[in-house]
Amino acid sequence: MEEIQYLGEHLLPGQIGRLAIVLGFVSAIFSAISYFSQWKNLARWGFGIHSASILTVIVTIFFIMIMRYYEYQYVWAHVSDELPLRYIASAFWEGQEGSFLLWMFWNIVLAAIIVFQKGRWEAPVVGTVMVVQFLINSMLLGIYITPDFKLGSNPLLLLRDTMEAPIFNNADYLALIKGNGLNPLLQNYWMTIHPPTLFLGFSSTVIPFGFAIGGLIMKEHKDWLKPVLPWALFSGSILGIGILMGGAWAYEALTFGGYWAWDPVENMSLVPWLILVAGIHTNLIAKSTGYSIKSTYFLYLLTFVLIVYSTFLTRSGILGETSVHAFTEMGLEGQLLLFLALVTIIPFFIFFKNYKKIDAPEKEEASYSREFWMFIGSLVLIFSAALITVSTSLPVYNKIRQFFNPAFIGEVITDPIPHYNKYQIWIAIFISILSGIGLFLRYKEKDFSSRIKILGQWIGFSLVTAIVISFLTGLWIETFFWQYTLLLFAGIFALTTNLFYWGWALKFRIKTAGSVVSHSGFGLMIIGIIASGLNQQIITSNSFLMEGLIEGDEKALRNNVLLFKDTPIRIKDFEVTYTHDTLDTYTRTYFIDFKKINGEEEFTLSPNILYEKDFSKIAAYNPSTRRYLDRDIFSSITALPQVEMDFNAKKEKEDELNYKPYALKFLEPTSFRDTVYLDDLDSSQIRTYTVLLKGVDRNPSHPDYHFEEGDIPIGLDLEIKKESEDSDKVYSAKPLIVIRGQLLYGYPVQINDINTKIKLPESILDLVFEGEDLLSYKELELMPGQKVEFLGHSIDFKGFDKSPQHPYYKSESEDVAAAANLVIDNNFNVAPIFLIRNGQSFNIKEQVDQIGLHLRLVKIDPEKGSAILSVAKSAMPNRVYPVEIATDSLRYDYIVLEAKVFPGINLFWLGSTMMMLGLGLGLWPKLKSRK
Amino acid sequence: MKKIHIIAILMILGAIVLLTNAAGDMSTYANFKDAEKNGLRVKVAGTLSKDKEMEYKPEVDPNYFSFYIKDAEGEERKVVLLGAKPQDFELSEQIVLTGSMKGDTFIATEMLLKCPSKYKDEEIYIRTEEREI
Repeated sequence: MEEIQYLGEHLLPGQIGRLAIVLGFVSAIFSAISYFSQWKNLARWGFGIHSASILTVIVTIFFIMIMRYYEYQYVWAHVSDELPLRYIASAFWEGQEGSFLLWMFWNIVLAAIIVFQKGRWEAPVVGTVMVVQFLINSMLLGIYITPDFKLGSNPLLLLRDTMEAPIFNNADYLALIKGNGLNPLLQNYWMTIHPPTLFLGFSSTVIPFGFAIGGLIMKEHKDWLKPVLPWALFSGSILGIGILMGGAWAYEALTFGGYWAWDPVENMSLVPWLILVAGIHTNLIAKSTGYSIKSTYFLYLLTFVLIVYSTFLTRSGILGETSVHAFTEMGLEGQLLLFLALVTIIPFFIFFKNYKKIDAPEKEEASYSREFWMFIGSLVLIFSAALITVSTSLPVYNKIRQFFNPAFIGEVITDPIPHYNKYQIWIAIFISILSGIGLFLRYKEKDFSSRIKILGQWIGFSLVTAIVISFLTGLWIETFFWQYTLLLFAGIFALTTNLFYWGWALKFRIKTAGSVVSHSGFGLMIIGIIASGLNQQIITSNSFLMEGLIEGDEKALRNNVLLFKDTPIRIKDFEVTYTHDTLDTYTRTYFIDFKKINGEEEFTLSPNILYEKDFSKIAAYNPSTRRYLDRDIFSSITALPQVEMDFNAKKEKEDELNYKPYALKFLEPTSFRDTVYLDDLDSSQIRTYTVLLKGVDRNPSHPDYHFEEGDIPIGLDLEIKKESEDSDKVYSAKPLIVIRGQLLYGYPVQINDINTKIKLPESILDLVFEGEDLLSYKELELMPGQKVEFLGHSIDFKGFDKSPQHPYYKSESEDVAAAANLVIDNNFNVAPIFLIRNGQSFNIKEQVDQIGLHLRLVKIDPEKGSAILSVAKSAMPNRVYPVEIATDSLRYDYIVLEAKVFPGINLFWLGSTMMMLGLGLGLWPKLKSRK
Repeated sequence: MKKIHIIAILMILGAIVLLTNAAGDMSTYANFKDAEKNGLRVKVAGTLSKDKEMEYKPEVDPNYFSFYIKDAEGEERKVVLLGAKPQDFELSEQIVLTGSMKGDTFIATEMLLKCPSKYKDEEIYIRTEEREI
């Protein structure tokens, strides 16, 4: 077959990028081998080349994305012309390849810090990072090892090389294709900040992992404990913040209606964090007492292994339908599994080989020492992580069973949230109490008896305070079950003990308060979880309809309420009204007014929806939240009328309407009828209405219409009245028709009260834009203040206006313009404009539609101060305006809304953030002492 | 044996006991026949019967959505979801329902959709509508 010469392709970036990927791959393994062989200079060169290569790949991809080179599959799949520049980064890491690169980027940054410190740990740590880089890099190669097995997925492949389509027979195919763009759900700022933070968290766990390997192979089981600690604290803090951001995103921008749902992907990012935190605790023990060195090795190794396991679970597609975080399968399962096997087997092999040689004190920890209880705390964290991992790994277990026995039917957890909650609650209680009391104990305690008294005092004091606060909290939030009451108390106890310890032992110093901030944060978080999770209240629940379908707590299941526009509905303490909505390109925002029944306050929530590009369906529902210090009111749209969700349905509905034409004359009422069939009486009722044309509007407004440069809009001012003695209600309506370029857009008006819809037919344009050739103009010269008669109409020239205003006229600085203010028939005000622009003269016509008079200001005589008008009377004798009216148009202006109150949710955010900041605070004195 | 070892062993035992107990939280994907027989709360996986009627009239009840699905055995039942009709429902490849049978209707309280990712679609969007691939 003849080779096609494609037009407009940019092949150079792809060649550079693909070369850099291979170079990065080779230099990573080169650097790793050199580091482990102690060839430090070679290793650093390798690291430098690897870093430069990966940065080149990243820059290249950003470049082709910004340039919108759709010949590249990755660009085509993640970017589109409409995508704003600020979402390019999000589009970059939306795909698997981009997120691998993000991970590699952070690995390079962290490793570079260690390289520049030039410490003795550089070789094993950076060597380990390089092995990891080599493994991740292999997923980007996209090289066929055998015809069926492809190693990795290359982000710099051309679209025409990745798929077959007839379009590629066209040499100019690039002119035809457009990008898919970023998933609208991901088009928000969380997608910009959450992945880099989380990946920095993921990436940073490799450093303690590297230190552990270093300690093992250098057989210096004690020396690594001190330098690793700041890295572990940093990692714990960032990983924790990354996880929290995910929760905040789910809560704020997605309609999950909460911040944590025990989803497998969430779980598998939490588990490594739990293990890491356990590791930090054993690290502290080991550093201060020499106990728990083995545990520290084990936990830091395990943390990274779990990060890779989590990567495997979320990216291999094995979680399938158990997770809402749908990651697409890319055929990387085998490679990911290999990655996991390598980072598990090799380090643990070294660990167990050295196990006997890692020294530990002969004597057992004293049971009233801090190290003993801290270790118990770590065990509890491991226990928690193990329970979560086992439950989350159920799909993996199913897959393995199915591998050996294809007939095996996998099991799933029926209701994940209660399943996890019922065990984790006890862990939370235990950790709360432990973190409170543990602080008061000392390392290597030799003389506990002398301290019993003072400790007893402080702990007793904390206990009493906690009971009092628990009681007071109980007045605000309910706990429902005694287990939760206990949990609430435990959380408050953690808070009070930590605060007292801070005051008593640390004298309110901030620098050493890392653990106090973290542990009291944990306590606060527990209170926040009970308040916002257990006490959340769905205020839109509607239990009136369809009762008795299922047993149990039905009320909790009926979470949505229907709101008609401008029809207030009472939900709980509020009167809620859907007032209006606006459409801005693809986003339709609904404004919902919440008014407290007691009149204390009123506010507006504005959830929105995002349409697909062709308006064929809704891509995303975005909630809106009213925040208070003590609670949040959360609202989200859950459904809309079919005609609002789908443009085609709207069109179909519109076509089904029974429009009838009417001809209107100015100020002459025209009647139309609506026949209402009454089902039960087998008869019908006829209602008569009149419609009155009040004017033609050339600068009309309509809620869905936004004026654009060059538009020519026409609107009619109509008044509709019901013909009956008992009703004097008058509806005004202003249907529009707009000429934009070559297209016509109609903006009909719906009058809900009478199920009537009015639109303007195309034929109205002939009337409004009467052909100039049909008019015979006559010139009139008028002085200001002069009044003349013209074909039975009076024209009164009031004077000139030097700064004229007109919807079709936009003034420019060089313009010389004036309008003649005219009053026609003592009734209509018009102001035709005369204009000199760039040495040419123009005039802008005015029309009096009611009498069919066309007026132009064609000249101004500066000497006499007179205006020369050109006036014509319409050639059409009857000025009849066509409209079309349908009386069978039902209202579709409603929304289905869900609203919830989350009490005390800020305690959750405050507490959880304090936990992570506390870890970071622990870093501070350690970084200072290093200098 | 150290105290810590004893505590660790107790914890492992505890974990085994807890997870064994938790077996009650697990279930296989049931089919409609099983659900009819035992009347318990189960998970059913199936596919949407696109030819059958689908009813969601928020103006009548925003928390009532009914449709028909076929389970793995090919049994077809009417399903009532007590909630709003989710977006992209018609596109779903597979539907996982949690709920129980009541008479010949499956009352679902939770629904998970597995949709073909539209961003995975190997379909090239064309700039203008007139031109075809």
